[in-house]
Amino acid sequence: MDTFIQLTVNGLTLGSVYALIALGYTMVYGILKLLNFAHGDVFMVGAFIGFGMLQLLGGPSDPVFSIYLVLVLVTLSAMAGCAMLGVAIERFAYRPLRDAPRIAPLISALGVSFFLAYSMQLMFGAQFRDYDTFAMANGDLFFKGIDIGNVKISLIRIIVIVAAFVLMLVLWLLVTRTKTGKAMRATSIDREAAAMMGIDIDRVIVFAFVLGSALAGAAGVMFALRAPVSVTVGFLAGLKGFTAAVIGGIGSIPGAMAGGLLLGFAEAYTQGYITTRWSDLVVFAILIGFMLFRPQGLFGKPDIQKV
Amino acid sequence: MRKTKSFPLFAAAVAATALAATVSATPAAAKSTRATAGISCSKTLDIGMLAPLTGAAGFLGQEQLSWAKLAAKRLGPQLGLKVQLVAGDQQLDNALAASLVQKYLADQSVMAVLGPATSGAAIATTDTLFAAKMASVNMSATNTTLTKGADKKGSPAFFRVVPDDSVQGPTDARYMVNELKAKKVVLVDVREPYTVGLANSTQATLRKLGATTIRESVSIDQSDFSSLVTKIPGDTDVVFFPTQQPAKAQTFAQQLIEQGKKAVVFSSDGAVSQDNFNVPGSYVSNFAGPVDQYKYNAPVIAAWKKDNPGDTLGPFGPPTYGAAQVALNAIKRACVKAKNGSITRNQVLQQVSKVRIKNWILGGSFRFSTKTHDPLNAKFTIFQIQKDGSYKVVN
Amino acid sequence: MDDRLESDALTRPVEGAAEATASEGATSPAVGRDEWVARHGERVVRRSGRIGAAEQRLRAVPWWAWLVLFTALVSLLPVVFESGYVRRVSFDIVLYMLLALGLNVVVGWGGLLDLGYVAFYGVGAYGYAALASDQFDVHLPSYLAIPIVVVIGAIAGLLVGLPSWRLVGDYLAIVTLFFFQAFIVFVSNSDDVSGHDLFGGASGISTVDPLNAFGRELPVAHLGIFSVAYLYVALAVFVVVYVALHLVNDSRTGRAWRSSREDPLAANLMGMPVNWLKLMAFMFGAATAALTGSLFASLNGGVYPTTFAFPLLITIYTMVILGGAGRQAGVVLGAIVVGVLLETLRDANDAQYVFYALVLLGLVGTLRLSRRLAAVLVGVAVLGYAIHLVAGAIDSAWVDGTSPGGGWLGDALTHWTVVPTEPAGWIKPVSYVGLVASVLLLTLVRDRLRIVLLVPVLVLASFVWENVMLPDPSSTRYVVLGAILIATMIARPAGLLGERRVEIV
Repeated sequence: MDTFIQLTVNGLTLGSVYALIALGYTMVYGILKLLNFAHGDVFMVGAFIGFGMLQLLGGPSDPVFSIYLVLVLVTLSAMAGCAMLGVAIERFAYRPLRDAPRIAPLISALGVSFFLAYSMQLMFGAQFRDYDTFAMANGDLFFKGIDIGNVKISLIRIIVIVAAFVLMLVLWLLVTRTKTGKAMRATSIDREAAAMMGIDIDRVIVFAFVLGSALAGAAGVMFALRAPVSVTVGFLAGLKGFTAAVIGGIGSIPGAMAGGLLLGFAEAYTQGYITTRWSDLVVFAILIGFMLFRPQGLFGKPDIQKV
Repeated sequence: MRKTKSFPLFAAAVAATALAATVSATPAAAKSTRATAGISCSKTLDIGMLAPLTGAAGFLGQEQLSWAKLAAKRLGPQLGLKVQLVAGDQQLDNALAASLVQKYLADQSVMAVLGPATSGAAIATTDTLFAAKMASVNMSATNTTLTKGADKKGSPAFFRVVPDDSVQGPTDARYMVNELKAKKVVLVDVREPYTVGLANSTQATLRKLGATTIRESVSIDQSDFSSLVTKIPGDTDVVFFPTQQPAKAQTFAQQLIEQGKKAVVFSSDGAVSQDNFNVPGSYVSNFAGPVDQYKYNAPVIAAWKKDNPGDTLGPFGPPTYGAAQVALNAIKRACVKAKNGSITRNQVLQQVSKVRIKNWILGGSFRFSTKTHDPLNAKFTIFQIQKDGSYKVVN
Repeated sequence: MDDRLESDALTRPVEGAAEATASEGATSPAVGRDEWVARHGERVVRRSGRIGAAEQRLRAVPWWAWLVLFTALVSLLPVVFESGYVRRVSFDIVLYMLLALGLNVVVGWGGLLDLGYVAFYGVGAYGYAALASDQFDVHLPSYLAIPIVVVIGAIAGLLVGLPSWRLVGDYLAIVTLFFFQAFIVFVSNSDDVSGHDLFGGASGISTVDPLNAFGRELPVAHLGIFSVAYLYVALAVFVVVYVALHLVNDSRTGRAWRSSREDPLAANLMGMPVNWLKLMAFMFGAATAALTGSLFASLNGGVYPTTFAFPLLITIYTMVILGGAGRQAGVVLGAIVVGVLLETLRDANDAQYVFYALVLLGLVGTLRLSRRLAAVLVGVAVLGYAIHLVAGAIDSAWVDGTSPGGGWLGDALTHWTVVPTEPAGWIKPVSYVGLVASVLLLTLVRDRLRIVLLVPVLVLASFVWENVMLPDPSSTRYVVLGAILIATMIARPAGLLGERRVEIV
């Protein structure tokens, strides 16, 4: 039973990060019908920005302010930096291709992903960076926490899970309660009709990229708090976030959240109970299964093409 | 925007390609006419190096490169030679390594090669290097079959300055059983030749000594081990986790503590890094102590730090310096013996096994074993990480 | 302009159509009158003047003549250059060309985004290794092993392509990407599949036989130097594949591919088996990749999982896109350009020339031989020299470093480029990001301002090149690939040899 609880907590932590990444994919796909392959690398850049900010604010063991305030600042700076990056990518790599055949922006996205990852390597080298969370607040983040029976849930996990859910809630509110959010949903249903209704499509798209990239940046920081990152981490993380978006139903925001959590649990349980070596294959098998039997995912609507 | 201009662009592309191809091929063509003549010791001699400079293992190769550059810069003038380092990125691709080897074979001023850094690439290229009589001095390929065993895969041109898995595995296993009194050990590898080989070797000895072993594998990209940690039985004494990334050993150890498991992490030479792997109570084995414990290394370390500001000392660099030192000494010996001041690759190859070095960067003095192309009496040192993060020798 | 309006408007290009074609941006279709388009099928924008005439004559040369010429030139390479390195690189590039041809079938002719293409390459290599190595102790001669591998590749293509039956384009990309990842995971772990060593796992299979037939082996190397024979075998295979694919494209299947690519819905309504066509494109691509894989395995004497990685996929895509997806000659050219570029970017010395040559080429290409070009060049020289002087005067350590790129060019530029002896840690990221930002800014401004701003941007580019990119050629290669991919898609999606097509809006 203890193992189950621990694995569930693991899955929740992993899944929250995947959900944040998946949300970025899903929002962009909903409007542009574009799979933004560069999203995973934006996530990676967020982790690095956070790392830089952490060093600037004194480092993990000797921060300038309280460590919790520092963490908030680090996350916010990563979110801001990634938002700007996302806007730049959209403006220069995707906007010129908006009316091109579908394959064109996809290929451009592949190029951006590659360019980003190796530019980071040019600038910062190939080694793994560690936030050294253990050293923060004298190990409090690891040693303090809640106990459920015999299972210890460390403070850092709680922070990550809560922060992720808060961000998802904020996103949900932004998308459902604000005017721009409504405009975004309208554009994702029918771009031309939305344009005819007076919605500024460019602004809506930028809004989607800002939100998605900011979430990816936050996800990067949360991921890096628990595991070391290097420039190659973006590819796999992007892939998993992507899988989560598709499983949940690409284009659907609640779907991305559900898909992310589902993926997190699947990975945790597979690794914990069955096998660690083939766990990636299991995840892929789940995805292929969805693709074949329910391509619209959990929450998506079947793609009906109007002639 | 612009009008299409496919033809001029086409012509330009062809011209550029022709130019580039000529540029890179011509020096090689010009030099190949001197195929067997030998090269004068007063000219600039090259040492080739093959290591992964980008990709998943890029951090490893970059570290090795920085020390190799230092060796060429410092030791060349000390030995009275003009030396240049030519480095090639083999990534983790053995075919690329083979391609690079061809490049160095074609370049007549390359007299010896450092690496290839990975065991797989070393196996793939060793015969080619021997056929061309080019010495390869290796600083990180620890696969035992490269120099030993019935199915020995290394050619006579393969030399190694670090001890191999067949030394590290049993040393670690014996320590675990005899000193740490470990009865249950979980071994984790990351599905690539170095860790798999080392885990195999350690597991074999552990079994012989009567310990219970469980074997797990994770993918090489994985850096969050929470679920694997959950799976590890609570009564495990040691988790043997060889890795080339100290940060991963660190994360593993921290997550074990986080989930309240009593097992300690025992890692291998790839994880040696006081800055990145410093969880108290863990163990790590290395073929040398941290190099800054030897006073005679101070100038070398200072020079390295000056050239690489902000970087921390890691485990892969110093052996590369040592390998370069061996190669350069072999070249020097060949030059001294040469009749008319010019040497061939074969002559350098003959001299490698005779090289002896005092004040070896990894401690003590260096010479090759008489039986194999491994260092003589190579030992592994085991360290325990102390409360302040420093490494203390315990064997 | 007026006289054109007076003549028969139906047989002359519509006034402004050429400009419209050019000015609308490279990606949007150009407007044309129905009659005009219908009468001339695939209309191509033609240049006027002498270059146009030369272009016309080149177009008239039959495709096979180009192929013969090309093959002859490549065959002469090992004669001119004796080094094993050139032969090995030529062989590698021929393999790239084969891979590009295969991807061209899937992406260019079928219009499908196949992100798992490299996995088929791997299937071919591992298939050959399974049939001709010590792994299972099966040693089939090459004339048996290779055709079997090709069939296996085609079947793999069929199986992977089957999900595309029901799915739209993007989903196919996802499925193929995951097939790719699954392949890598499987093969890396294949040394312990329920206790059996299937494919060597992470260590791969290192005992693959070289090409052999009737008991005689083709040696891979002589005294360590790569043997010419493999290059010729690869070239022969290339010619066969090129011709075969050309014939397929010229047939009904090719025409069907073209129509289903342009408008799958219309094609479907016309009764074409669109899904089956997609599958066929997939299978042809996979078979070509598998064939290339077997050549690769036999040459290397071994197969390892790490060869079949994501960077290789992007490399082949860059070759196809840069050369011109849909045109075989184009992708072959793309393969050569990118292949040579990657080789030169391995080494700082060679890369040095390439950078400045390409910048010069780019300037000449966009500005032509004009006063503007001269102005820019003079401006760059002057500004660079001035900055060097000022920086040197402030602190000689700012300019006394040595550039990693040597050669005569490096020496000539020592008084112009700024290379600090010990650059501070923040210099690299700041200057690099600054360069990227300023290049992007350049795309936003127009005309005069752009020319003026070009000068400082070029000086900054040379600084970044010398200090950031040249010291690390291995990362630079991939940065350049990514940049080529993006720039090509935006500025010239038809690639180098592609032709702009006119479509009815």
